[in-house]
Amino acid sequence: MPAPQVDSSAELVRRACRGDMGAFEDLYRQHIGRVYGLCLRMTGRPESAEDLAQDTFVSAWRSLPGYEGRSSFSTWLHRIAVNTVLARRRSPQGRNEISMTDDSGEQMDFEAEGRMDEATPIDVERAIASLPPGARDIVVLHGIYGYSHEEAAEMLGVAVGTCKAQLHRARHLMRTRMGTEQAT
Amino acid sequence: MSTLPFGPRNPPEDPLLAKAAELPKDVAPPRDLWPAIAARIAKAGDAPAKPAFRWPLALAAAFLVASVSALMTWSLVRDPQQAEPAVIAEAPTAGADIVPVRYGPNSGVSAAELAARDALLGEFKSAFATLRPETREAIQKNLAVMQAAADEIDAALAKDPASGMLQGMLAGTYKQELNLYSTVVTAGDGLTRRT
Repeated sequence: MPAPQVDSSAELVRRACRGDMGAFEDLYRQHIGRVYGLCLRMTGRPESAEDLAQDTFVSAWRSLPGYEGRSSFSTWLHRIAVNTVLARRRSPQGRNEISMTDDSGEQMDFEAEGRMDEATPIDVERAIASLPPGARDIVVLHGIYGYSHEEAAEMLGVAVGTCKAQLHRARHLMRTRMGTEQAT
Repeated sequence: MSTLPFGPRNPPEDPLLAKAAELPKDVAPPRDLWPAIAARIAKAGDAPAKPAFRWPLALAAAFLVASVSALMTWSLVRDPQQAEPAVIAEAPTAGADIVPVRYGPNSGVSAAELAARDALLGEFKSAFATLRPETREAIQKNLAVMQAAADEIDAALAKDPASGMLQGMLAGTYKQELNLYSTVVTAGDGLTRRT
């Protein structure tokens, strides 16, 4: 009976670096859920998230020889995804995409109400999606994916203090929108 | 950089962040994206790209931006008594020649940051038109240095898109551009004398 195959990301990366597309497909299968989740939550748009996830993996393939293993492969991949999302936002195409919030973070479409302890995951997802981009980014990276402020700041290319301020703003906006705090 | 797996290292005290941390990390896309990715990779070539080591160029460009910008700032803000005031006619069209730095497709400069830059640009162009010709020329050269740096860093990011250091260098170039504009806006009046 053949032994069960256990293939780590490190071994898959080594094989993919040598041009093994099968290994890279395995890496894709391992990581697509988190990459797509990150892109979807940062953009709030499923169609854009598909494009961005594709761009992330194509970019990762091209950059594999430069991956030195100083961070986990998943963290490296997430950095690429974040840069891809930020670059899209800056592009004319990204600027024309409709967001659930305007630039000032004013709510355009969010009706969830209720106490925090009664909030469902869907309520929380909707509240995050309704945030302005800068605040949403830090909630996604720090709140959902567990990156430290320092790591999130480096990924987003902003100061750590900016990250903390954005998180404070995001928490206030989310509480207000979820009906657990009066708007000021 | 940490190599810890995803997920908060400590349970967040804020109930809102605790709720966020409980959300599933993986979200399955509505369709398999691999065929399209494989097709794009196949179109580009059979093997991962060999790393083109562009960091020295990017580093040199970023260093040059910092050096030139510091010199420009000193030149503009030095004691007006020491700086010989220029007697120039207003050149209202001079600002029209200004082309702000263009950040490439791999850079992470956001639309909001570009909007902030563009908001300052109008005021800068007005102040620029009143400066001495040699100062205007120096500023144009400074902007060209910044553009070259942005191009080099963008090219390096294309090869190493996960690099936080390159992103930081690009952010530094953006800040230097803003600093140049704001320095001209705030210091320009003391350096010129209109006829």
